[in-house]
Amino acid sequence: MLALLRLMVFGFLFLSVIYVALSLYSRSVRSAKLRQQWEDDGRPGERDAFVAAGLKEYDGSVRRKLILLVYIVPIAVMSTIIYLTNFN
Amino acid sequence: MVYVKWVFWGTFWVLVAAFFHYTLPQHDIARITDTYEKRVDFGENSIFWSHAAAGDSAATVNRDVFFIQAFRTDDRPMIYRNEDTGWGWPPYFKFDTSNLQAEAADLISKKSATNAQWVVIKHYGWRNEFMSIFPNAISVRAVDGPDVRIIPWLNIVILTLFAALCWGIRARWKKFRRNRIDPLVDDYTDGWG
Repeated sequence: MLALLRLMVFGFLFLSVIYVALSLYSRSVRSAKLRQQWEDDGRPGERDAFVAAGLKEYDGSVRRKLILLVYIVPIAVMSTIIYLTNFN
Repeated sequence: MVYVKWVFWGTFWVLVAAFFHYTLPQHDIARITDTYEKRVDFGENSIFWSHAAAGDSAATVNRDVFFIQAFRTDDRPMIYRNEDTGWGWPPYFKFDTSNLQAEAADLISKKSATNAQWVVIKHYGWRNEFMSIFPNAISVRAVDGPDVRIIPWLNIVILTLFAALCWGIRARWKKFRRNRIDPLVDDYTDGWG
C-alpha cells in the first residue's frame, strides 16, 4: 500500500501544479479578453471595475470548473487501465 | 558546432525512441510451450525487473519470478517474465500476475500438437541475452491462427499525441526565439560586420 500512497501523493502534487498553473493562465486570458471587450464596448465606466465584475462572474462559471478535469481525467484513465489490465 | 548539435539531438531522439519502444505495449503472436518460476537474484540488470508484487515485502534482494516460454511465428524462442507492475512505472497497473500465469499455462501448445494453439501475448520491454532481461507479459489471448492482424491503436494514439506535443513546443520555441532572442542578439552584435 506504500506504493499506492506514494503514487497518490506525488500524483496529487504534480496535478496540483498543473491545476494552479492552468487556473492562473485561464484567469489572465479571461482578464485580457475583458479589457478588450471594455475597449470594444466604448469604454463604459471604470476599466478596473468592469474587469473585476467580469472576473467575479468567471469565478462562478462552468468554464472555470472544467479545469477540475485536470484531476478527473487522469483518475478516470487510471481506473480504466486497471479494469482493462486485470479484470477484462 | 553543427556536429555538436547533431550529436545532441541524435542522442536525444534515440533515447526518446528507446523509451517508447521499451514502455509501449507490443503484441507477439506465439505458441506458449511452458510456464515456470525461478528465483532471480537481481544484479546490475535490476532496473529491468519490476518491484516486488503488490502487497509483498519490498525489502528482499531476491524473489521467485514467473516466466512464460514461447515460440513466435518465426519458430524462434521468446521468454517473457510475468511480474506485477503494481502502482509503479510503467503505468500498466498490473496486479493479476498469478491469474495470467494460470491462463498462460492453460494455453500451452507444443510443436508436436496436431492443432497448434496460437496466442497473442501483449507485453512491454526487451529481451536481451547478455544482460538477462525479459519483456514483461501483460496479457494473453487465444487466437485462431498465426496470421491474425493486429492494429496497435493505443500506440498510434499515444505517438500521434506525442508528435503533436513536440510540434507545438517547437513552433512556440521558434516564435519565442524570433520575437525575443534574435532581436537581442542583433542589438548586441550590431556593427560586427
